[in-house]
Amino acid sequence: MSYIELNNIRKVFKKDDKETVAIDDISLHIEKEELVSILGPSGCGKTTVLRMIAGLVEPTSGEVFVDGTKVVAPGSDRGMVFQDFALFPWRSVRKNIEFGLEVNGVPKEERTARVDKYLEIVGLEKFADARVHELSGGMKQRVGIARALVNHPKVVLMDEPFGALDAQTRNIMQAGLIKILDKTDQTIVFVTHSVDEAVFLSDRIVILTKRPARIKDVIEIPWPRPRDRASPEFTALRKRILTELEQENVMDQGAPADKPPKLTGGLLNRIRHRDRPDSETGDK
Amino acid sequence: MFGFKYDTENKWHRLGRLLLIMAASLLTFVYVWWILAIIINTPAIPTPDLVWAAMIKLFNEGDIQTGLSMWDHMAASLKRFLGGFALAFGVAVPLGLLIGYSRFLDEFSRPVLEFLKPIAPIAWAPVFIFATTLTIGPILVVFVGIFFPLLYNTIFGVKKIEPSLTDAAKTLGAKERQVFYKVMLPCTTPYIMNGMRIGFGIGWMCIVAAEMIAPLGGGLGYFISLQSTLSNWPYVFVGLGVISVLGILTTGLVDYAYRLMAKRMGIE
Repeated sequence: MSYIELNNIRKVFKKDDKETVAIDDISLHIEKEELVSILGPSGCGKTTVLRMIAGLVEPTSGEVFVDGTKVVAPGSDRGMVFQDFALFPWRSVRKNIEFGLEVNGVPKEERTARVDKYLEIVGLEKFADARVHELSGGMKQRVGIARALVNHPKVVLMDEPFGALDAQTRNIMQAGLIKILDKTDQTIVFVTHSVDEAVFLSDRIVILTKRPARIKDVIEIPWPRPRDRASPEFTALRKRILTELEQENVMDQGAPADKPPKLTGGLLNRIRHRDRPDSETGDK
Repeated sequence: MFGFKYDTENKWHRLGRLLLIMAASLLTFVYVWWILAIIINTPAIPTPDLVWAAMIKLFNEGDIQTGLSMWDHMAASLKRFLGGFALAFGVAVPLGLLIGYSRFLDEFSRPVLEFLKPIAPIAWAPVFIFATTLTIGPILVVFVGIFFPLLYNTIFGVKKIEPSLTDAAKTLGAKERQVFYKVMLPCTTPYIMNGMRIGFGIGWMCIVAAEMIAPLGGGLGYFISLQSTLSNWPYVFVGLGVISVLGILTTGLVDYAYRLMAKRMGIE
């Protein structure tokens, strides 16, 4: 059995008698100490897959296993890093990182030692007592990463963690993450919409189709890290993945007849439109 | 003139300017009041000098009718105010957290709350005083005054919690109880304090009004109502002034606490 297993996962969202299939039969096995990226067109359900491993979303059918245990609820063995950082603004940097240890009843002395260690790993020793709002975006996310790592989770689930950062900070953070991996051998599932980021970081890239999401392709990248973005292999692989993704986007535009007619204003027009539920959403 | 130049970057200059304008504003107020009092020429609007003399007498000796000094009246009103506030806080905050948390409770309580909300707190005074006592009645009026803003702000606060914060707590291993105490409660605190800010203003108006209806054991409202029936107008004006100053102090205190916390959490 693999370290993380998603077996025949399906997710159907129901809203007002309408069913939207978000994820259609995904099976994925991830090994220990692997960094797997999930790439796909926006709105395809990448984040939903991640949240299912976290236990924040329940699959409609299929099962998720982490280290042989079936996932039924969120837990500290599956840490998560969020795009919007999701730090607690009323806590200092140290107290944010300490949160998981605190709720899991780790004794105070061990808590302090472990937080100190991870503050050093992410390079925020000097900001231990700072308030969250005093930090830059990149520093905030380093707190987010330390907060997830300090629990010694089996896997860290990263949901577009650098998506809210500017390009330069993004590159610095990616390099930083690689350094952290050298020290911790952490298993990571990484959701991103940046092809460059996925190729730079991943042992394996899983490309999803547009909604309903299925696995379109899985690409192994055996190159050691850190990787050279300018190397011909890197550029070639990037191009190949971009082309695959583009196919998905082109197909997405191929169904204009399903889209609701453009509204040109007028309250009556809008009310009428609302009376026809079949034309309300374009993605069906 | 004197080689002085106002500098917007200098904090002492800014403070000096502020104080100067404030003094000018208050002086204008006293001046206009004085002139109006002379023009209107009725005992019900005494001139500032009479009010000043009355104030010194009231704070030092008190009035003959009740035998209480102004300090005693202030203490009596504040005590009732704090009683009503404590009661409102104890009920509105837990209730608001629950209603914000549970959709059923929200839907269930909404019609009742919406029905009761438009009733001016003071309209309850006769009912409360008759149903309880002259001591407890006014406290209940304050309770109603503070209850609604506090409750509605608490509910609003719970609904405004970022889902990613509770998600983060759960993935860090927090159980439902811990999510409630360690995430929902601190997230809601700024909203609770905002409710207090609004509630304090309303509650303070309520207590004075309720005391006018419940004449027992002193209090500013009681004092004003008593002195006006005796036509001691300068005394009445002192009462009005004290109400204002205490109102500024009580709401100012919450306001200060709110700012302190907002700064810590980085909310503007």
